[in-house]
Amino acid sequence: MGRQTDLLPGTLDLLILKAIWLGDVHGYGVLLRIEQISKGALEIQQGALYPALYRLEHQGLIESEWGRSENNRRAKYYRLTAAGRRRLRDEEAGWNRLVAAISTVLTARPEEV
Amino acid sequence: MARLPGASALGRLIARLRSVWRGMRRRGDVEREMVEEFRHHLELRTEDLIRQGVSAREAARRAKIEFGGIEGVREDARAARGLYVIDRIGFSWLDTKLGLRMLVRYPGLSLVSVLGMSIAIAVGAGGFGLIHALVDAPLPLDEGERVISVQNSNVRNPGSPARRSAHDFIVWREEVRSLRDLAAFRGRDINLTIPDGGTAIVRAAEMTASGFRVARVAPVLGRVLLEEDERPGATRVMVIGWEEWQQRFGGDAAVVGREVRVDSVVHTIVGVMPEGFHFPVDHRYWLPLRLNTAEYGIGEGPEIMMFARLAEGVSAGQAQIELAAIGARMAAEHPETHADLRPTIRPYTHPFIGLDSPARGRLLRAVQYLLSLLLVVVSTNVAILVYARTAARMGEIAVRSALGASRRRVITQLFAEALILSLAAAAIGLAIATFTFDRLTELLTSGNAAQLPFWVRLGPTPSLIAYTTGLAVVAAVIVGVVPGLKATGRALHGTLQQLSSRGARMRLGRTWTVLVVLQVAVAVAVLPYALWTTSRFLASGSAEPGYAIDEFVHATIAVDVDAVQRADASEARTDLIPRFESSLTQVQTRLQAEPGVAGIALATGTPGSEGAQVELLEMEGTGTRGWVWVHRVDAGFLPLLDVPILAGRKFVSADQATGTHAVIVDRVFADEILGGGDVIGRRIRRVPRDESESGAAQSAEWLEVVGVVPAFTPPPPFERSAPRLYEPLRAGDAQGVARLIIRARRGIQPGSLAVRIREVATGIDPALRVTEIRSAADEDRQRRQGLLSLALSVVVVMGSVLLLSAAGIYAMMSFAVVTRRREIAIRSALGAAPRRVLIEIFRRAGAQLGAGALGGLLLAELVARVGGGSLLTAEILLVPSVVALVLAVGLLAAVGPARRGLTTPPTDALREE
Repeated sequence: MGRQTDLLPGTLDLLILKAIWLGDVHGYGVLLRIEQISKGALEIQQGALYPALYRLEHQGLIESEWGRSENNRRAKYYRLTAAGRRRLRDEEAGWNRLVAAISTVLTARPEEV
Repeated sequence: MARLPGASALGRLIARLRSVWRGMRRRGDVEREMVEEFRHHLELRTEDLIRQGVSAREAARRAKIEFGGIEGVREDARAARGLYVIDRIGFSWLDTKLGLRMLVRYPGLSLVSVLGMSIAIAVGAGGFGLIHALVDAPLPLDEGERVISVQNSNVRNPGSPARRSAHDFIVWREEVRSLRDLAAFRGRDINLTIPDGGTAIVRAAEMTASGFRVARVAPVLGRVLLEEDERPGATRVMVIGWEEWQQRFGGDAAVVGREVRVDSVVHTIVGVMPEGFHFPVDHRYWLPLRLNTAEYGIGEGPEIMMFARLAEGVSAGQAQIELAAIGARMAAEHPETHADLRPTIRPYTHPFIGLDSPARGRLLRAVQYLLSLLLVVVSTNVAILVYARTAARMGEIAVRSALGASRRRVITQLFAEALILSLAAAAIGLAIATFTFDRLTELLTSGNAAQLPFWVRLGPTPSLIAYTTGLAVVAAVIVGVVPGLKATGRALHGTLQQLSSRGARMRLGRTWTVLVVLQVAVAVAVLPYALWTTSRFLASGSAEPGYAIDEFVHATIAVDVDAVQRADASEARTDLIPRFESSLTQVQTRLQAEPGVAGIALATGTPGSEGAQVELLEMEGTGTRGWVWVHRVDAGFLPLLDVPILAGRKFVSADQATGTHAVIVDRVFADEILGGGDVIGRRIRRVPRDESESGAAQSAEWLEVVGVVPAFTPPPPFERSAPRLYEPLRAGDAQGVARLIIRARRGIQPGSLAVRIREVATGIDPALRVTEIRSAADEDRQRRQGLLSLALSVVVVMGSVLLLSAAGIYAMMSFAVVTRRREIAIRSALGAAPRRVLIEIFRRAGAQLGAGALGGLLLAELVARVGGGSLLTAEILLVPSVVALVLAVGLLAAVGPARRGLTTPPTDALREE
């Protein structure tokens, strides 16, 4: 497990959308999925997860349905809507642009200025 | 973050509304699901921790700590669902249920309130919807929001932009880059002759080919107009609309290539546009616009309207900047014509509905919203009723407060109850508005009546529904929140104190006394005016014309207006007008010879009031002045209508010669202006417009009365009487337009002459326009129907306001006396004579009602002055009767509670105390 990193403000929604994009999942699954993929580098505050999920559902970006979980218990599963997929695409592109721009700045050498 | 396209925005809005609705409606379910989801989360986390070797108890504890406070998360989650506001105001399904229960529990109040508010909402929503449809509705074209109008605004006179802009059009078309496909058109009435299909006057647009590119609509048959068609010497072509193709050409599949005549010139049909295409305004025929700018100077030529599509990626503001620069250059190059002109981009619809300047737009906007003010008046009335009911529920409210309900909570509930009322009213109001729109559309699109502009769709559009809902919320605030604030203020504290011993009660303060006075004042002021208006409409609507209208047909005959506009004044005098008058004589002679025609006369208007000019005349000798309806008629007019001569003589042909001064007056004129008696030989003259206030009319010629006829047509709606004067129609009087009054022979339907009238006229001169051919009976029927609908509208609107006023007065008076019932009982127990107690009660009630009545009288006088000052003269009798009515309602409301007070056994009253 690598060092844990604090989430940048505004990135939680992006991470949740991405986690759900990988496959329909329940709330706890979202948490695990993000931790697994980031190899433990990103840890989501559990208390912040559900408000974020409900906000995304309220915005029509994800939708939910009750089903059966792996241990055969009733669980609420989330999946992306078409609007959610579009939002994820846009946010990913925006994020990549931002990362590229910041990297360019951080790798600048004095002779480039 | 990138914006989502429109469709998904709608999807997201729906998702949000669904989420909020669910949170409100099924709050319990939502809460339960939330808790279940959290529990599931905690179980899984606990199991994970156990798998990592943590003891079961410790795992459960750590899982809870990691999750955080469940209540906090739940609150955050509810806020995330958009339920924060709802939680904050505490609006719940329970409130809605309580509101519905109240609606049923007080059926009288509900009925009166909903009825009154629905009429007011219908008026507000109708006005908003009509203006919105005319001005703001999106153009039903591909990217219609990018289509704009362009005009040459005049900075000195913003209301009248320069329309003779053919030269500017050519320059702008060449130079302006921010506009794509600048187009121009002008509307024209043409005589369309279809071989084997008769002749008709139709409305055509002479439009540049670019206009079709702006519309982006493809023809269903053939082609649209092309630039080649505009060149001098090109074959004359025409494109027709789908409806005309069906109606006039029987949907002929081979219509493209057919020849028709436009006035006297043969044109070939080259295309048919799809159904519903009436671009640029209400047109169904399109001809190429040939702007031969070599023929006229700058600022001359035909009047044209211009429109365009904004170029790709250009905003209206950017296009305006480019146009302004070109305008400034042209103003410098042609200061004599362009010094005050500024090319301006306007919303597409504005120039076509007379919104030539932003100021007019603002005025229209004000009207659009002011109509909704009626709702404020009505809602205030309903608020009074609701306040009276709230007063009766003070005990309930006080108990709820004592049990911990906050003031906000109580007001929210009252607001919810009011919202139920106002939403019901909004639904009915919207239905009334929609019904009216449907009738209006039917009226405006039926027969030969003028067509609606193509963008106008009258109906319950989303914006209208949103506006109506907004009105409902405003009404609910007035009806629910205002009385709620009043009821839960200081009064509540007192009520709580009194609750244990004397039962809850609310006192009427100064505010409510003022409201009673205002109610009475409004009722006294408005009712007579409404009755008077209605009676005038009804009187005029039921008045019978004094001639055999069943035998008459009227038609307007005019010279091509464009030709008159093009010609300068001298040319019009020397050529066009005499030619028109000679054609007119020929038409008259030819029609007279028709077998179905009994007689024909010419006039500047129809026998009713519509065709008359109202002028100020002065009597010789006494100098008495009066407004008079002046009709210009030929010598045959009065005999044709079988109007008897009561005194003097009829007109003879010689009276129509220039320089003669004979006039005939009607009985009303003779009695009211000339003072009755023998009026033959009396002289009158016109008072010039600028001298109508004071000074003598030196320049006008004296006219001599040669005959008197009865008043054979009804007066206009708002005139008690209309003195009429008949003047001979002289050469030059018909400035290019006259009215044909034709009497059919017995047994012939007057309407059946229409086709012949048109054929004869266009046969004599193809440039003659014959329009508005209608039988006199039809015209009269339409006039009556119009007046009756007006009377009905006034009755409905005023009636609803007054019903509420009466209910309000009743509620307030009754309430005022109820609160003194115990006082009455105790006074009577202490030995006061019932008469004295009653007098005391009615003295107060009477003072309030009297003050209101007095205020109403003053208001009535004011209303009458605004409306022409005729109320307090003859209809003065109406005012006392209304005062009596209002007093009766008020006193009736006071009688019941007062009697109950008097008959309460003194012991009961004392026990209560």
